[in-house]
Amino acid sequence: MSDPIAPRNSAMAVAASALRAQQSRMRIIAENIANAESTAPVDGADPYRRQVPVFQTREINGATGVELARVREDQGDFRLDYEPGHPAADAEGYVRRPNVDTLIEAMDMREAQRAYEANLNVIETARAMEQRTLDLIKR
Amino acid sequence: MGIDDIPLFSNLRGRLGWLAERQRVVAQNVANADTPGYAARDLARPSDFAEALNGARGVELMRTSATHIPASTGTPSRFVVEATPDSETTPDGNSVVVEEQMLRMAESRMEYDAAIGFYQKSLNLLRMAARKPNG
Repeated sequence: MSDPIAPRNSAMAVAASALRAQQSRMRIIAENIANAESTAPVDGADPYRRQVPVFQTREINGATGVELARVREDQGDFRLDYEPGHPAADAEGYVRRPNVDTLIEAMDMREAQRAYEANLNVIETARAMEQRTLDLIKR
Repeated sequence: MGIDDIPLFSNLRGRLGWLAERQRVVAQNVANADTPGYAARDLARPSDFAEALNGARGVELMRTSATHIPASTGTPSRFVVEATPDSETTPDGNSVVVEEQMLRMAESRMEYDAAIGFYQKSLNLLRMAARKPNG
């Protein structure tokens, strides 16, 4: 019991860890979308590189939860746009833009949202089952 | 004689324990739906629920001080967790399909409700038998 606010019900604790992980994933997606057009801050440097969250399992109350293991960089090529007038353009007039595809990010966001909802569903079901058990005392 | 000496009750209790444990396994699967290399798991259905629960761990007393008298600790759960990959495995080795897990969860919940209802009805039966006539 390292986490003091972890729910006693281990199904809920596991789902809560997933909510947290999906939340961090959402944050990384937001960073990617926000920086989809960020060019290099100084001459010759790389523009923003797309971040990719990696999950891994984690032991919680004797059950297998999930956590954000690390954030890795997408090694894909940067986009090259021909814009000679752009301040960040190189000698040939090309501007290097981040390797972020907003369409992919939007899909990822949907997936994170759906996973979040699925975990909320698990919590709700676990709660309902426990409530049903407690109702035995009522009568 | 405890209430668990009645076969019906001990069976129902075993089933409830199994369903709650299964709920936990499904929660693990859903939580790890995006974890690379994670294989979906499920709880093996025992043939005798009452017997399966006999060896399952119940509430345990924790020893917070060395001077405490050790209580007998339960043996680990006899419910068997087995790898049961869903219909699809992603390229990163994850074999969880959230839809199938949700279905499994709904199924467990319905069975749980049914078992609780059964338990309640059986308790009422006992209560009726214990009441004095014309009371």
